[in-house]
Amino acid sequence: MSENNPIAIDNDGKPIWKFLWSELKPKGKIFTPFNIISVPIILLGLTLIVIRFWKGLGSVTNLTQEVPWGLWIGFDVVTGVAFAGGAYVLTFMVYILNMKKYKSIVRVTVLNGFLAYVFYAGALLLDLGRPWNVINPIIGNNFGVNSVLFLVAWHFLLYMIAQLIEFSPAIAEWLGAKRIHKLLSGMTIAAVIFGITLSTLHQSGLGALYLMAKEKIHPLWYSEFIPIMFFVSSIFAGLSMVIFEGSISHNVFQKQISEKDHKARTGIILGLSKICAGTMFAYFFLQVLVFIHNRHWDLLNTPMGYWYLLEMFGFVLLPMMLFYFSYRRNNIMLVRVAAILTILGIILNRLNVTVIGFRWDAAIHYIPSWMEVVVTLTVLFTEIWIFRWVINRMPVLRDSPSWASKH
Amino acid sequence: MDGFSYYNIFETKGMEYLIIIAFLALLIPFSIILNRKVIIKRQFSKALGVLTSSILKIPQGVFYCKNHTWAHLSKSGIANLGLDDLLLHFTGNVRLNYMKTPGDSIIKGEVMTELYHDGKMLKIYSPISGRVEETNLLLTEDPGKLNEDPYGTGWLYKIKPNNWKGETNSYYLAESATEWSKKELQRFRDFLAVTMPKYDPDTTIFALQDGGELRDNLLSELPGEVWNDFQQEFMNP
Repeated sequence: MSENNPIAIDNDGKPIWKFLWSELKPKGKIFTPFNIISVPIILLGLTLIVIRFWKGLGSVTNLTQEVPWGLWIGFDVVTGVAFAGGAYVLTFMVYILNMKKYKSIVRVTVLNGFLAYVFYAGALLLDLGRPWNVINPIIGNNFGVNSVLFLVAWHFLLYMIAQLIEFSPAIAEWLGAKRIHKLLSGMTIAAVIFGITLSTLHQSGLGALYLMAKEKIHPLWYSEFIPIMFFVSSIFAGLSMVIFEGSISHNVFQKQISEKDHKARTGIILGLSKICAGTMFAYFFLQVLVFIHNRHWDLLNTPMGYWYLLEMFGFVLLPMMLFYFSYRRNNIMLVRVAAILTILGIILNRLNVTVIGFRWDAAIHYIPSWMEVVVTLTVLFTEIWIFRWVINRMPVLRDSPSWASKH
Repeated sequence: MDGFSYYNIFETKGMEYLIIIAFLALLIPFSIILNRKVIIKRQFSKALGVLTSSILKIPQGVFYCKNHTWAHLSKSGIANLGLDDLLLHFTGNVRLNYMKTPGDSIIKGEVMTELYHDGKMLKIYSPISGRVEETNLLLTEDPGKLNEDPYGTGWLYKIKPNNWKGETNSYYLAESATEWSKKELQRFRDFLAVTMPKYDPDTTIFALQDGGELRDNLLSELPGEVWNDFQQEFMNP
């Protein structure tokens, strides 16, 4: 063979470049419903992104001087990162607490988390007035240590690297790179510990961003405990996303999943619902404590007050009870319903702090423009496309090759 | 200073402490109920007449021999012998025929009892050697006691052992006994899957491979040929 890369030889012995080229070709049907819907939106969104950078934020968004952070930060960055929390919770459970039961879903969750952080950090760039300055907290041209964003920037960078290292054994298995695989597998536990440590701080750090905005956020959502709330809720947000996204992947990619993994699924989902129930129980009481501490009883009888009660009782207490009962009755369908309610609750909570409760009293209420929504969907769909590309090629859902399990 | 206001953070402390106490108080029943699954599963299995490892009685301080007999040395130096709970769950209610009387000597591996159900028979070999001191006459009056309390009032023989340590050395005890019982249950499933088609190809009593649970007292419903095979597989020393 003329092109023989000594580091990575394809599993079938083909030259590596031919292999990579063949992997770029689409696998599966081209005209699926998802493709038909997502491709036009992605193309439109990319156009809008070009316009945003060419003509400025005002041409595409409804952001103003009064409300400079809108849907992109509130939904893509803050909410998206909360859902990516499944990665650190699951790796904590599998590698630190040694709950081997969940080992089969670690890879797909870490992949999800990695893609989430990459795309949502990218979505952050969309909101920056001078996006070329984003490199400053890293290279030191005025670090900006006074801002929580300095910490967030460094954490995102380091966490993405840690997740890439955690996921890299799958890439090595795909490429057939046996020596590198051994090296990377050895680094997994270190990357996991590092990743969990980072996650605890940047999950709460995103909440800490809003500590400065005391006058701007509605009193029912503002408290000095926002960082802790964000951190605790990221635990069950991540796990609910694992349950939800796991149900979808399991159906779409069911041919890849082994018999053993299929059977283990019920146990995994029930175990996750138990953990969610416990965490949400604690979170609900934390919210009650914060409410008592802030003493805004009079605000409960206002429209925003009802909205607050809806979020707390309908989207925290209710899904918590659903998780609890569905675990006791072994009802998978109910677990899924609870997971969806929880996801909606997290979106609601994050949007309440960042968008809805933010300058709720402004003369002109901020409502996202359709262009902002399209760009948000573009980011989401592109992430799903890449997720699907990886799952169809790398051993994420299906079993690793036999040589890999010896490491 | 402009906009400065005094904010008394201690005003709500009493209520907050009460909420924390309420949280801890609620947490206890919350986690107990959440973790209660195991007990329900056990009652459920028993109610259905299903044989799972969670309904087996496996006292941890008793020596179990491979042929499903047990031996327990009491403080007076006399050993009680009996049949284990797993075997009795297989066979259901049985009649016993003692082969030895008090004063006889018995050797490990010698037939000590015959177990009958409906004309089908299993030979029970002794797990230890010694002198027979007593046989359990209660069982002839009330055979149900055997299944009810196989390790207590359902004992078969009281024997004065002459080589307790040497003979019980290789027997199962405590956790290894529990593990072994679970494995034996699985081995019984595999045994049925192999044996049943031999004698009754049309059998639809079980489709165990997909995780269906065994019925209790299954062996009592099966023909004598299966009992012979069972003797070979499970009861011979």
